[in-house]
Amino acid sequence: MRQAIPMAATPGKKIPKAVSDRTICGLFMLPALAILILMVAYPFISLLYYSTLNFSILNPAKGSEFIGLDNYIRLLSRDSIWERFIFTGQFVLATVVVQFLLGVAVAYAFQRNFRGRDLLFTVAMLPMMLCPIVVGFLWRYMFNSEWGVMNYLVTLLGFEKIDWLGVPTNALWAVVIADAWMWTPFVILLATAAFRGIPTDINEAAEIDGASPFFRFTRVTLPMSMPILLIAFLLRLIDAFKQSDLFFAMTGGGPGSDTETVAFRLGKIAFSHFYTGQASAFAVIILVIITGLSLIFVRLLTQQGRQD
Amino acid sequence: MSLHRQPIVLPAIVIGIYMLYACGPLLWLVLSSLKDRQELFTWPPSLIFSPDLTGYRAVFGLGEAAQTATAMGLTDALINSVVISVVGTALAVAFGTLAGYACSRFAFRGRDDFMFFALSTRMIPPVAVLVFYHVMFSRLGLSDTRTGLILVMIFINLGLATWIMKGFFDGVPEEIENIALVNGYTRLYAFWHLVLPMVRGGIAATAGFCFIFAWNEFAFSTILATTQAKTLPVKISSATGATGIEWAQICAAGVVLVIPVAIFFWMIRKYLLMGMTFGVLGRSRT
Repeated sequence: MRQAIPMAATPGKKIPKAVSDRTICGLFMLPALAILILMVAYPFISLLYYSTLNFSILNPAKGSEFIGLDNYIRLLSRDSIWERFIFTGQFVLATVVVQFLLGVAVAYAFQRNFRGRDLLFTVAMLPMMLCPIVVGFLWRYMFNSEWGVMNYLVTLLGFEKIDWLGVPTNALWAVVIADAWMWTPFVILLATAAFRGIPTDINEAAEIDGASPFFRFTRVTLPMSMPILLIAFLLRLIDAFKQSDLFFAMTGGGPGSDTETVAFRLGKIAFSHFYTGQASAFAVIILVIITGLSLIFVRLLTQQGRQD
Repeated sequence: MSLHRQPIVLPAIVIGIYMLYACGPLLWLVLSSLKDRQELFTWPPSLIFSPDLTGYRAVFGLGEAAQTATAMGLTDALINSVVISVVGTALAVAFGTLAGYACSRFAFRGRDDFMFFALSTRMIPPVAVLVFYHVMFSRLGLSDTRTGLILVMIFINLGLATWIMKGFFDGVPEEIENIALVNGYTRLYAFWHLVLPMVRGGIAATAGFCFIFAWNEFAFSTILATTQAKTLPVKISSATGATGIEWAQICAAGVVLVIPVAIFFWMIRKYLLMGMTFGVLGRSRT
């Protein structure tokens, strides 16, 4: 814990201050706090309020009667909502596992020094910088069942063409391939940062002691980079949970509504059907889940920090 | 030194396979942006063809291609995108830097809660708050304005900026300010003239990330900017006309979108790795 006011080395000598530290602290925090209150706290409280109303933004003037928890009950008693949660869970699990294994492996491989590494590394980061909507359309184009290049590769390998986006299971994997393509670079970036932070003498000492590369990776590198890997994992998990741009561009939630994620369905309730009250209730539920997830990870992270 | 003696085969294979996965679609994006309508739907897909710039002409509103009904005419959207993401990034970085400094140097009540609160902005699914922004923006007259979207860009990036900057400030020894204070300088002076120059790299890295997120933002913009303030991603998503999806234009626009970010990224690559540790390394290892 830091001292509230750093004390001068010589006690007794008066520190001249035009503005007190307290004031500076307050002034520095002010813009950030104002934005966060305006854009997070206020909306959240309003959401809680809306979620108890039978209200639609299409018709703000009338129809805002108080209905208590009816919106929540109606939502959660619908089977189709639970199907969306299951689908989202499958997507999150698949994509995060794929990009994490791949990302950590590639980051570890990039630890070697070789000529052109910087350039290769930057190129490897490019997918992350593309606009998600472009990424979605690009993969939809490549996954087209009639003339898409992915099916060309499939036929080169001697298989039949696959209906990538027309069958729910295939569509799930198609979006996982696209999502992992886009976000593995983020895992690579964070894992690289984590690996670079490990003092080299620790690895060298382990090597002198005769530790195998595999042993060094699992017993030295991984545990020591765990705090940052956990942050990466948390951010990817939450981003995958709220993914909707890729589904929007690639499948439009189809076929039927089989590839709608939770966030996608929320968007539909809010901006296609304009059930604002019900959408608010759904938003509150999603926010509670996400806050819960993050609290678990923050707890893990602080424990990890203490072990160091 | 020990790393050089180890076999390079396995890492080379891993990187090689990954680069195919990463670059294949990028190559396909560039190739498709140069194909004409017929070439786009050829089976088997063609690798060699005569390039056609119609997609790019339509994007920049040049020549005949811009006159056709399906042309997207992206210049307006391009200007909107530049203004909104540049101003939004600048403000998010400025506010995040101030808050990051305060959180790094002062122990005030509720600091940890604030840090969590700030991070939570990265976790909120856009649609969840959009339900409310839609109402709030129309009441405040911010719907479909650049100002409104700039506010959104600050909001989506502020938490990340605060976290990354706090990490960088944590890495600057506190003694620097203490010495300055003892010597009669004010804290503001020490902050501006001593500490801030030391975290220049951090500011660059933070700006890089904020810019990428602002530049590519889609969910908020598509609901809050319907005509006047439309940004590039929103415009691209509407490229599904009567004649089907305008693939060449979408791909051309995608290439145009990624170029500035890629250049920016290359310039700040040295600092990105440092910024991405969120101060975790600094805390446990200095």
